[in-house]
Amino acid sequence: MKFECGDLDRALANPDLMTEAREHLRHCATCRNEYRVWNEISTTAKQLHQEWDSPDLWLRIERGIGQEPPRKRPRPQWHAWMFVAAAAVVTAIAFLSWPQLTHVKPPTKSAGQTTASERDFLTEQALRNVEKNEAAYRHSIEELSNLAQPELGSQTAPPIVASYREKLLMLDSAIEETRSIVAQNRFNVRLQRELADLYRDKQQTLEEIVASGQRR
Amino acid sequence: MTWEVSVPLQFGTALRDNSTDAELLERCKRGELQAFERLYTLHAARMKSLAFHLLGSRDDAEDAVQETFLKVYRGIERFESNSAVSTWMLRILINCCYDILRKRQRLAEKPMPKEVPAHTKLTLKVALERALLTLNEQHRLVFLMFEAEGMKHSEIASVLEVPEGTSRAWLFEAKRALKQVLTQRSQAHEI
Repeated sequence: MKFECGDLDRALANPDLMTEAREHLRHCATCRNEYRVWNEISTTAKQLHQEWDSPDLWLRIERGIGQEPPRKRPRPQWHAWMFVAAAAVVTAIAFLSWPQLTHVKPPTKSAGQTTASERDFLTEQALRNVEKNEAAYRHSIEELSNLAQPELGSQTAPPIVASYREKLLMLDSAIEETRSIVAQNRFNVRLQRELADLYRDKQQTLEEIVASGQRR
Repeated sequence: MTWEVSVPLQFGTALRDNSTDAELLERCKRGELQAFERLYTLHAARMKSLAFHLLGSRDDAEDAVQETFLKVYRGIERFESNSAVSTWMLRILINCCYDILRKRQRLAEKPMPKEVPAHTKLTLKVALERALLTLNEQHRLVFLMFEAEGMKHSEIASVLEVPEGTSRAWLFEAKRALKQVLTQRSQAHEI
């Protein structure tokens, strides 16, 4: 290949062509000048680095940092994961459990044929399911309650958390009262449904508290 | 992370003392001001120089570095060590510089350089500075980071979030364009 002036750029990008390029440079003043400029660019560029004293720059930065709002204590990452997991478990149980209470199946017989006992009372099997699921639901809510404790006990929590605290006290009291009534009338669908509603209310309240803590 | 720089000497010397980058990062994450000061000592010189070339003024360059450090302070807790902290800081710096340039455009300020009278015989350095302004931003940045600040292509690629080959290609394009401008000038002015 005959090396021509237009090939110089290719040679600069590809060292394999430099032998031929050098031969060409011996005879071509224009390319020699270009090659000189090419080499001088890198040499001269080193002088472009600028150094100057900035005695007050760090002080300005320090002052700026001092004006930043105080750093929040980093929340452990497991907190968020636990919240997601606990909320998922509670929600799953809320939807899957107590089917007899939340989704009472329409009677297969006509309304006229349905007896009062079939509408208002659980069967033995249904009661066993309800009690089993209630225990699981209660356990999940306790875990959620543990997650909400830091926010409930925090001195810096917003005023709304105080209202949540009172609401939880009322809900706990109502739950205990309803449970003691249910204990005396375990087959009663209405009472079981009331208890389920109270648990659901407590779950939502706890979720709001945890979410409030996550936002802060 | 170890910076491997050939120039400038003073900055290169400072950088060899950063064998505890991870430890420094942890201390910064804990909010220790001394750790931030150490970061400043290690990296501010290069940051100021690069910002100066992007903004054309030392005052603006210092403002950009200040803003960068405040952003670093605000964001360091979320910084994950996928890249070196210095790379991350340079990325923030470049964005700060662009913010200042955009603000300047909105205020319709005159852009950079102090014009050199046409009859003045230019030194190659001044000619190079002027020729740099004809390059597009990416080519100019790569050229400055590689040739003026002594960064490696791997570092530049990480800052600009491009493949290393792209960094090399942009440098070649930058030098080719500069060669063209400077060759014409040398023929006209006999630099």
